[in-house]
Amino acid sequence: MLLFLVNNVTKFETSNFSDENLDLISFCYVPPICTEWHAVASWTWDAQDETCGICRMAFDGCCPDCKLPGDDCPLIWGACNHAFHLHCILKWVNSQTSQAHCPMCRREWQFKE
Amino acid sequence: MELQPTPPPAANLHVLRALTPDSVQEILHSYAAFCSSTASLLSGDLSATGPDFVSNVHALCNHGLRSLVRDHFLKSLEDSFESNSVPRFWRCFDDYRNVGILEKSEGGLDFENRVRQVLYGALEEISSDKAYQEKCLLMLVRSLDSYKESFPDGKCDLDDERTYLFSRYRLMVASVLMNSLPRHFPEMLHWYFKRMLEELSTTVDGEVDAGDGEDDCPDEDDMDLDEKGKASFRSGKMDIDESTFQGKLLENNKLVRKIGKVVHDLRRLGFTSMTEDAYASAIFLLLKAKVHELAGDDYRDSVLEPIKSWIKAVPLQLLHALLAYLGDTISYDSPSPGLKSPLASHQSSCSPGMNTPPEGLIRWQLRLEYFAYETLQDLRISKLFEIIVDYPDSSPAIEDLKQCLEYTGQHSKLVESFISALRYRLLTAGASTNDILHQYVSTIKALRTIDPAGVFLEAVGEPIRDYLRGRKDTIKCIVTMLTDGTGGNPNASGITGDSLLEELNRDEESLENGGVEEDFNTDEKQAWINASLWEPDPAEADPSKGSRNQRKVDILGMIVGIIGSKDQLVNEYRVMLAEKLLNKSDYDIDAEIRTLELLKACSVMIHFGESSMHRCEIMLNDLIDSKRTNHNIKATIKPSQTEPQEAGLSMDIFNTTIISSNFWPPIQEEALKLPEAVEQLLNNYAKRFHEIKTPRKLLWKQNLGTVKLELQFEDRTTQFTVTPIHAAIIMQFQDQTSWTSNKLAAAIGVPVEVLNRRIYFWISKGIITESLGTDSDDHVFTLVEGTSDGGKTGGNNKSCDELLVGDEEAESSVASVEDQLRKEMTVYEKFIMGMLTNFGSMALDRIHNTLKMFCVSDPTYDKSLQQLQSFLSGLVSEEKLELRDGMYFLKK
Repeated sequence: MLLFLVNNVTKFETSNFSDENLDLISFCYVPPICTEWHAVASWTWDAQDETCGICRMAFDGCCPDCKLPGDDCPLIWGACNHAFHLHCILKWVNSQTSQAHCPMCRREWQFKE
Repeated sequence: MELQPTPPPAANLHVLRALTPDSVQEILHSYAAFCSSTASLLSGDLSATGPDFVSNVHALCNHGLRSLVRDHFLKSLEDSFESNSVPRFWRCFDDYRNVGILEKSEGGLDFENRVRQVLYGALEEISSDKAYQEKCLLMLVRSLDSYKESFPDGKCDLDDERTYLFSRYRLMVASVLMNSLPRHFPEMLHWYFKRMLEELSTTVDGEVDAGDGEDDCPDEDDMDLDEKGKASFRSGKMDIDESTFQGKLLENNKLVRKIGKVVHDLRRLGFTSMTEDAYASAIFLLLKAKVHELAGDDYRDSVLEPIKSWIKAVPLQLLHALLAYLGDTISYDSPSPGLKSPLASHQSSCSPGMNTPPEGLIRWQLRLEYFAYETLQDLRISKLFEIIVDYPDSSPAIEDLKQCLEYTGQHSKLVESFISALRYRLLTAGASTNDILHQYVSTIKALRTIDPAGVFLEAVGEPIRDYLRGRKDTIKCIVTMLTDGTGGNPNASGITGDSLLEELNRDEESLENGGVEEDFNTDEKQAWINASLWEPDPAEADPSKGSRNQRKVDILGMIVGIIGSKDQLVNEYRVMLAEKLLNKSDYDIDAEIRTLELLKACSVMIHFGESSMHRCEIMLNDLIDSKRTNHNIKATIKPSQTEPQEAGLSMDIFNTTIISSNFWPPIQEEALKLPEAVEQLLNNYAKRFHEIKTPRKLLWKQNLGTVKLELQFEDRTTQFTVTPIHAAIIMQFQDQTSWTSNKLAAAIGVPVEVLNRRIYFWISKGIITESLGTDSDDHVFTLVEGTSDGGKTGGNNKSCDELLVGDEEAESSVASVEDQLRKEMTVYEKFIMGMLTNFGSMALDRIHNTLKMFCVSDPTYDKSLQQLQSFLSGLVSEEKLELRDGMYFLKK
């Protein structure tokens, strides 16, 4: 029995471990090797508000004209720091005859640089 | 005896007045002579009917005593028949009182032959007796005739006399026999016909085997024995097969002739109806036995055709022969039938067109076929459940049943018996929902062939649907069945890899193609054709269930019908899809895309909620995007940033699924502290993501995902696929081999209960052991040191390489539909409580309607009746409400 254990230990020593400090018992257990870690995350727009002030849809969703959220329906910030769906605010800006204002604060609409 | 003649009263006085003593003397003399000669005639002395007899008859007739002559003669015939022939006839059968029982005890061909001989003998005897008596009667008729001939005016009814006397005689014979009929005689007849038919059937069967198909030659006259016999002798030299076949036919004909003779004799004795009963019941019995034998428990072959050809081959042949035999002999009402040869009968029967089957035969054929159809139908209906269980294989049986039902029209029988079979065998607590659903689908498919209009299907499907609605896992099973080819039906290996949905879609496509064509040429002509093809619904159709167009049988629709609402189905599908996607470690979603496409194709048909499908699409799109983004991030991240090598973790093995959480079903969040190294990786990754997709950032769902671990032991390497929490647990043990549960829980940032539940996975794998610590609540977990003492690991170390965790604890990453519903419904709880406080008690319907009426704004009440019901039953089980007689009360 002892012989067997020693044999095994020597095998392990030659194959995997060169760390002399580990005691005998610990040889039987090797730290788990993680071969793959598949994590899950959700993305969110880094905006203060939850919903778009124009279409009242969630920022993390998309504007009524879009099918896919995210890259296809981005947010845009104005100089006043209000955020809207790009499509929503563009529609708004284009519909204004003169200078467009931010729908939230009535300031002149400027895209944030 | 009857010295007083009974002439009509008007003539009576006149006759009496004309009587002289001389004439009285003459009458008395002639009558005495007539009586004695009658007696001697009946005792067998034919010579007694000399000119004396005739003159005596004449003398009596002269005095208007013709009726006396007739009556006396008939009476004496009756007396002699009753006292001599009849007892002798019945005595023959005395030994065979219980043929059935006797047959069993004695058995064998010997007994059978004996009984037959007895029957033949007795019939022969009584027939010859009767023939003799008829001969005597004929003599009387002749003498009466000769008397009449002497008067020119009496010529008119010569034949009448004869028919009158013979009909009276026949009536007399029949009534005498019927009067003294022993009870076992019909039984014996029945038995006889049965045996004969069986014999005939076996020889014909043999024939069918030998002379392939030559058996049905209904055109040829079967009675034409002798000619056929000769023909066979002639052709015998040329063809052996032919001659053996003919020989068999000859044998059959002998048999038929025997039967025909018996029937004929019996008929002449007045047993017409009894005989007919006997052979008809024998034929039906045999037919029934044949149907059962052919049909049996095998549903893979169509049996209708064999049965039909058998009917043609055996009973119809016989009946044909029989009818031909009887038909002409009766028309040829000769006074000496016993002496008549079959050849003679054949000659006479030749004349009336041989090739057209007589009407009687056609009627018999219809009767027999109807009976066969009915028998088969009953047989199949009683086994319909089994037939449907192995449906695709048993389609011939279904096809048979369809034809039978078309003929008999007893659909309601099918519905009733099948429903009761369903209740008894399928809709029980022991049957799994999957099995019920599969049976349901098979039923739909099978009944669709029988009844394309779907009327009966509706009736049959109703109980199944009702039952399934009461089961909790119905929706889940339906979705699994629809979307997953293998999961739904693990034991049906033949059709794996092909989900029901796919199959349905294929069917639908072919249907659609047909339909499109129809749409294109809907010009007036086509419309007219369509209109003229219209058929009313079967009478059993329930008018409240809508017209035929709406009732179009589509399996998907019927399945969705179980659930009641399509949105529920889609929601369930969404949850399942989310679950599946979140547990994917690669980005391979081809199968899911395909399923979704199919669902979308079907959604056109049953109008799935567009938005739900859209969400599913986004979910799949997230996966595709994730793959790309993941690749980008990993490519641009600097390798130097990833230091933590001690856990074997690097960016190379790290992947992320990034989801648009708004479009996913609510996700179970659970706080979890991951090991430092992993945390570091996540942070780097998130930072990189933020850089690439600037205003967006990542929120980690630490508890979700999959981790593949490789644990090395002294002699083996085991792979595990686990959830992050399991990985976090086991990773804690690399620094410290023993933890108390409280400390470990704190280290990985989960409540102790969760830890205890999760760590069980590792305990069950024999990697960690649990022991009671100092505190009863505080368990101690220790890493198993070496496998030599962990005996229990030996068992499962071979198959450990792929183990998906999470299922065993029924722990899903996505909140189930029920949980979602509960969450949404709690808003209404207050409303419901308030309602019940005001009204005392309310029925489900009323609660539903009230909610609909009052909860119109934020949140709008948009739940179905079923959803409300399940929520209410939840409240009942929480003891907040009470349900009595369908009314809900507040629990006091």
